[in-house]
Amino acid sequence: MPITITAPKAVRPSYAAADNASDDSDSDASSDNGAADLEGDIPMASSRRKEDKSYSIVTPGEVITDDPQWMRGHGTFVSPSTSAIVSSVAGTITRTNKLLSVRPLRARYTPEVGDLVVGRIVEVQAKRWRVDVGASQLASLPLSAINLPGGILRKRTETDELQIRTFFAEGDLLVAEVQQLFSDGGAVLHTRSLKYGKLRNGVFVAVSGMGGGSGVVRSRRQVWTMEAANGAGPLDIVLGVNGFVWISKHVETPEALIAETKSATTGITNLEESVSTTMYSSQNDRIGVETMREISRIRGVVTALVENGLRVDEDMLVRGYHEAVEMAMLGEGPDDIYLGGERGEQLAAALTGV
Amino acid sequence: MAPNQHVLLSPAELAYLHEALSLTPPIRPDGRAPTQFRPLVAETEILPGTNGSARICFADGTEAIVGVKAEVERTRGYHGDDEEEGGEEKREQEREGQDEWVELTVEIPGYREDDASTAFLAAMLSEALLADGGFAKKLWINRRFHWKLFLDIILISPPLSYPLPLLSLTTHLALLSTRLPRLKSEGDEDPFFDDDWAAAPYLYPQGTATTRPPITLLVMAVGRNIIFDPTKEELAVADVVLAVSVGEAATDASSTKGKGKAPGRSLRLLSVRTVDPPSRVTPPGVPNATNSAYGIAASAQKQPEARTVEAQAVEGVWRAPRGGAKPAVMAALVQKVLERGGVADEVLDALDAVELG
Repeated sequence: MPITITAPKAVRPSYAAADNASDDSDSDASSDNGAADLEGDIPMASSRRKEDKSYSIVTPGEVITDDPQWMRGHGTFVSPSTSAIVSSVAGTITRTNKLLSVRPLRARYTPEVGDLVVGRIVEVQAKRWRVDVGASQLASLPLSAINLPGGILRKRTETDELQIRTFFAEGDLLVAEVQQLFSDGGAVLHTRSLKYGKLRNGVFVAVSGMGGGSGVVRSRRQVWTMEAANGAGPLDIVLGVNGFVWISKHVETPEALIAETKSATTGITNLEESVSTTMYSSQNDRIGVETMREISRIRGVVTALVENGLRVDEDMLVRGYHEAVEMAMLGEGPDDIYLGGERGEQLAAALTGV
Repeated sequence: MAPNQHVLLSPAELAYLHEALSLTPPIRPDGRAPTQFRPLVAETEILPGTNGSARICFADGTEAIVGVKAEVERTRGYHGDDEEEGGEEKREQEREGQDEWVELTVEIPGYREDDASTAFLAAMLSEALLADGGFAKKLWINRRFHWKLFLDIILISPPLSYPLPLLSLTTHLALLSTRLPRLKSEGDEDPFFDDDWAAAPYLYPQGTATTRPPITLLVMAVGRNIIFDPTKEELAVADVVLAVSVGEAATDASSTKGKGKAPGRSLRLLSVRTVDPPSRVTPPGVPNATNSAYGIAASAQKQPEARTVEAQAVEGVWRAPRGGAKPAVMAALVQKVLERGGVADEVLDALDAVELG
């Protein structure tokens, strides 16, 4: 069956049922409190919302309360003429003692110093690149914050400025770290480590990052190498804190390469300074069919986790991947790497059921 | 949104995607089979103020709404009763439609209404709808009046992939659910309608073997592989992209008697449009051999010019496809869509299963 078309699910059935069960007198009250209700209109989840519910969604511009005893927190503002607290984002209300704040359902990434991010170059300027990291502003990567090729740590020259596109050009993906933040929230990145640099040999998938709801969360490890099933060999996974994910074939770290060529000069102290020879390559290595299949499978696990509202981190992804491999072994047919729709839900159920 | 918009993918990504999609069988980034569509969620008659409406969304949040509104309009070019009435059968023959009785607008967030890509989408959708001439005929009321149909197609999410198949399927469902008030008046008098909505007949009567609205499918080819419902990343490495519109042929007694009871439906090709694939404007990759920033002695052999010269094909390095599409590939694409029991057939079956109302 190449296509599946399903009817829409009821909006949060468990929540609505609980709402009705708690007191159904309230739903009557809300229907005749003067709110415009067109005949035949579809009942929205928000029409059942009550002020005193702990779980409720507010939309931008919605008055949360006009009681002066509350203090406003993140995601809210006080309208100038009145003292009412109004939501500025769409999200859920959280209250801490007398502090009201709204957690957005979905938000752009807010950079923090030290975050590992995956970004895409969108603009090349004279001495820096502008990088899309999913934040509200483009991050910048100065030419002085990358490892220049040539082995030793050297001063950047005018030649480097002229051939800035040979390092990173528009569209290139890179993994970097947030080095510094401007007061307006803009980030400055750096790639001065062998761990960072241009990405190749794999696929990219963008999910939502830190900010709201599901997606990539900050965790102990954002980058790891895992052994894939079916003889696919090791795979590298980079979960950018900004929600950009890179899954690629693992290639031997360049340390070994450097060690054999410059074993005399490269010690453990200046290993970081010496640059990877393959850092700015945009040529893929030979990738086996099995490896490609497993890369697609992991990508499917990432999207299935996000579509089912689960967090994406090392633990979930590794467990989800093993679950997916098992599901494929139990099932039959050639389309065993597909993890959308029903299969994604199965996967999520298996992961949350444990 | 436009297929030929500048897709920002790195050469390494493009090379990987192209390699994976050229394998037999191709490995798609999301693991789908070549003919598999993304799962859809569909419902109809969602807008109470319209004659028919539908909504379809993908799991990734791409969502489209189509509303159909009908208005009675005076037919231009009718000059009073200058001729005598010629009997019922003559009047039936006079039932003819004009293309301007259907107005179709597409709205994509972030794009102007008169943007070339939006206009192209609207043109493709209305072209398929009006191709057989039977659709406008349905809007005929009498010699003096006709229905004017407004189709408003709105993508309510940012376009994450080329939205043509999504919009086409949503339009299909909306038209299937479209009802027009039942006509009570007779002949050429001013039209007078039954105000009982429950008695309103469907524009496309259900249960009968009449024609249905067409569907437009986006098909692409990479090498010899034919891929349906491509995502944005897949389109970025396509060699050929075609928008194929198919409709169901009217199953008259004359057409069915020859074939008997063949499985599947008899499909009609309504239109084919080539879509400019965005792969042609992608930047080429730089092979390691000519990369001045590659290698241990990179600084020593530095080239003064940063511009890269495109060389011979190297494995693992992306090169944008050159030249036109091969006729054999194009024919194979169309053939694959039209096959009996093939993809278009199954898509129509799945659309049939969507409950109306």
